[in-house]
Amino acid sequence: MTPRDESHPRRDERPPGEHEVHGLAFRDVVQAEERATATGEAPAPVAAGGARRISWQKWTFMPAFLIVALLITWLWFRGARLDSIAHQAVDNGKVGLAVRQHIQLTVVSTFFVLIIAIPLGIALTRAKLRRATPVAMAFANLGQAVPALGLLILLVIWLGIGAGSAVVGMVIYAVLPVLANTIAGLRGIDPTLTEAARGIGMSPMGVLRKVELPLAVPLILAGVRTALVLNVGTATLATFGGGGGLGDLISAGIVTQRMPVLILGSVLTVALALLVEWLASLAELLLRPHGLEATT
Amino acid sequence: MSFWEYVGNRHAQLLTDTLQHASAVFQCMVIATVLGVLIGVLTYRSNWAGNLATTATVTILTVPSLAMIGLLIPIVGLGVAPTVIALTLYGLLPVVRNAIVGLRGVDPTLVDAAKGIGMSRTARLLRVELPLAWPPILTGIRVATQMLMGIAAIAAFASGPGLGNEIFRGIASLGSANALNQVLSGTLGIAILALLFDAVYVLIGRLTIPRGIRA
Repeated sequence: MTPRDESHPRRDERPPGEHEVHGLAFRDVVQAEERATATGEAPAPVAAGGARRISWQKWTFMPAFLIVALLITWLWFRGARLDSIAHQAVDNGKVGLAVRQHIQLTVVSTFFVLIIAIPLGIALTRAKLRRATPVAMAFANLGQAVPALGLLILLVIWLGIGAGSAVVGMVIYAVLPVLANTIAGLRGIDPTLTEAARGIGMSPMGVLRKVELPLAVPLILAGVRTALVLNVGTATLATFGGGGGLGDLISAGIVTQRMPVLILGSVLTVALALLVEWLASLAELLLRPHGLEATT
Repeated sequence: MSFWEYVGNRHAQLLTDTLQHASAVFQCMVIATVLGVLIGVLTYRSNWAGNLATTATVTILTVPSLAMIGLLIPIVGLGVAPTVIALTLYGLLPVVRNAIVGLRGVDPTLVDAAKGIGMSRTARLLRVELPLAWPPILTGIRVATQMLMGIAAIAAFASGPGLGNEIFRGIASLGSANALNQVLSGTLGIAILALLFDAVYVLIGRLTIPRGIRA
């Protein structure tokens, strides 16, 4: 549960306009009061936050919610009547295996996405290759029109059934958002800063390492989060290519019309996705360079 | 059988699937746009409600589409119903977020000016704020449509309509001679549809964004 980054600058911009509007008669009282509380509360996290903008309640809400949801599902599932077909789908540690496979698929594919997309993004923003950037981006956007499911199955037909093809498909699918984030992050850097760094005698490598990359960290981290969330979702499709994961439970539930299996698989997938997104937002906040917090 | 022979043989079936795919995405996108703009209009004035709407839609987007469909099946059954609900829910997110960002981004002095010349609140919303917020909303619709194209393919697993059926037919006959043709025709069909929709949105943008605020 993270307020998006976009909302923060808005908060800062909004108050001047709001104060002007406040005194005017056209707004009814209730609304004015609502806005007064809204503006009264809004700056608080920003001001107090400096370091950590988001309250602890917000950070603990998601895990608490997930624990309660999983507990309810587990109690319900234990009480549900399972026939032999449903038992076949969940017995012998198949649920644990599906969760492990799902996490493996997500982690492995995210790792490859990062080691491909970030160096590529850096390369495409260097002076020599900068001209190739629009071409690469247009190509990548075109590729984005291909549905993940179709891409995955084409790779399965080409490379054979198994988790390997699924990982390749997931990597291809998630590289673009991270690449776009990295390029946007590096391009958005104030050129006067890099010029100043060059001016004090830093090598191009030094500028990249000590100035450009630290400044681009927030956008790169946002890209990492995007990749993780995308991959958790795409990993559910691995089941159609024999790649395992929680999709196995969902598809078994749908195909055999066993609702307990279907619901268990779906709830576990949702919980895993929300947990991953929560962990990624936490990491995003903790890893952000401290000097940047005031501006971003 | 080569790919083109396959397409020639099955063109009736493929055409039906393509039309159903396009119409499902289009109709859900219309519902999502209307709902999304409405939610944006209702919540953007309040910091609290606006952030809640954004957080809620972002959370929905985090849920993998197959799991969402899986949770909908016990409630509404198989077929068109879970497809339409899932597509509409996923279509909401980019529209709501961009509507709120766009409406909040409208220069307050312009709204003041509109008030100064005696426009009512509805008139200000319809004739000043929404037209100014329209470009980001349209971008949201574009992003959402492209996403829905892929999700609609997955919805075919819950007996939904569209080109996803072609892909799942291929999965069912994995290893047979026609599997590649089926998956390829479904995938390419969806990609072409996505690009066509995108082109239409560019055209709509040309026609509907007032010249004065075009970038």
